[in-house]
Amino acid sequence: MEPKTDWEPRVVGFLCKWCSYAGADLAGTSRKKYPANIRIIRVPCSGRVDPLFILRALRLGFDGVLVSGCHPGDCHYQTGNYRARRRFAITRKILEGMGVEPQRVQASWVSASEGGKFVEVVTGMIDEIKKLGPNELFTDGRKNRKTEK
Amino acid sequence: MEEKTEKLKNEARKLLEKGQVCRIVGFEPGSLKFTTTPLITGEKDELDRLVINPFIVNNLSVYLTGLKGCVAVVAKGCDSRSIVSLIQDNKVNREDVVILGIPCSGIVDLSKIEYLVGKDRDELDDITVANNSITVTVGGEKREFTKSKVLFDNCLGCELPTPREYDILIGEQVAPSPALESGKLKELKDMPPEERWRFWKEEFSRCIRCYACRNVCPACFCNRCFVEETEPQWLLPTPHWQDNLLFQVTRTIHVAGRCTECGECQRACPVGIPLRSMTREMYDLAGELFHYKAGMDKDEEPLLTAYEVEEAENFFG
Repeated sequence: MEPKTDWEPRVVGFLCKWCSYAGADLAGTSRKKYPANIRIIRVPCSGRVDPLFILRALRLGFDGVLVSGCHPGDCHYQTGNYRARRRFAITRKILEGMGVEPQRVQASWVSASEGGKFVEVVTGMIDEIKKLGPNELFTDGRKNRKTEK
Repeated sequence: MEEKTEKLKNEARKLLEKGQVCRIVGFEPGSLKFTTTPLITGEKDELDRLVINPFIVNNLSVYLTGLKGCVAVVAKGCDSRSIVSLIQDNKVNREDVVILGIPCSGIVDLSKIEYLVGKDRDELDDITVANNSITVTVGGEKREFTKSKVLFDNCLGCELPTPREYDILIGEQVAPSPALESGKLKELKDMPPEERWRFWKEEFSRCIRCYACRNVCPACFCNRCFVEETEPQWLLPTPHWQDNLLFQVTRTIHVAGRCTECGECQRACPVGIPLRSMTREMYDLAGELFHYKAGMDKDEEPLLTAYEVEEAENFFG
């Protein structure tokens, strides 16, 4: 389906409190610009992100999900992001296997000092999703109640 | 089969008499012809009902978390893997269970026979299992089928027919059968993504959310499942395909590394959703990405709690 011209993607971002959320904050305080399409949810650690969160976001009609946390080795809780990495890899592969476009489910490591990288990640992801078009996975031919304004 | 059953009865009696276990978890003949049903008993005179035959399909390890030790459990190769996986997750203490290992050369899928013969299981006279074939007697007529046609799908590529973890082994070791690629999975992999999604959408439209798959799964041992949470309510309890799909995909990912591909979810499904296509993919992924095989080694750390410093980096930007 052709992306509608007036359509703007909505992406939910699960950002770890210690790194990526601070990174996003830094992007803001350093007056860097990134697309406002991302809705940020702060989580204590990227390891908090249950595959259920990702699936539910897609189910509610979000066009993409970003999971972001501390770089490997930098986790505030030592190993949270290593576990998040295994879980995320499996989640994404399973969703891909079921027919979900892999670009809709992305992850990145962004530290608290990488405001610039956060901007790049979000910009890149929104661009990719704009090319993909709206998430119609769960729509069943009718509009999802939650996607309507 | 007879001598195996006798040996099992003797061993079970000895265990109960010695007071080593309080209960035996095994199989007894079911109410329908050929079928078996789980038997959980602590009474010595009930032990005569125990059977071992090619129809002992249930994965009895599902009862272990509820029984809290002091049990002897009958386990085929695949069941023993589920038990190992429960031990890995600290759900079962190895010392608290006596595993009565059964080397298994495949479990017969009665619905496949019914389909091939075109008769109900009550109308069949006899089913005998030989080394490589199965003979079904219907109305005095004998019909022979190769094993690959009448065994459960998950028995076809069985990696562990003889339990690796056991206390008493009943019968002779059985060699693993050559792996057969599941037809459905190959078919699914060759589909374009949209079609794959449509396939699952259609399958999950039939789901009635009875949760049989979850209840029969030895890996699903949460006291409170996310589907029953109301604060927040993760998904609607009504069987819309969207919520059904969300439930099943999340469940599959939650049991990653614990799922030993025993196929119980698919067998229990009353509407015949090919759940094994999903669990198989998960199982293969765990192997591909993290070189992990569920339920093989009780001292190994579970898939989702273990990690390597360098792995799966290509998923992260």
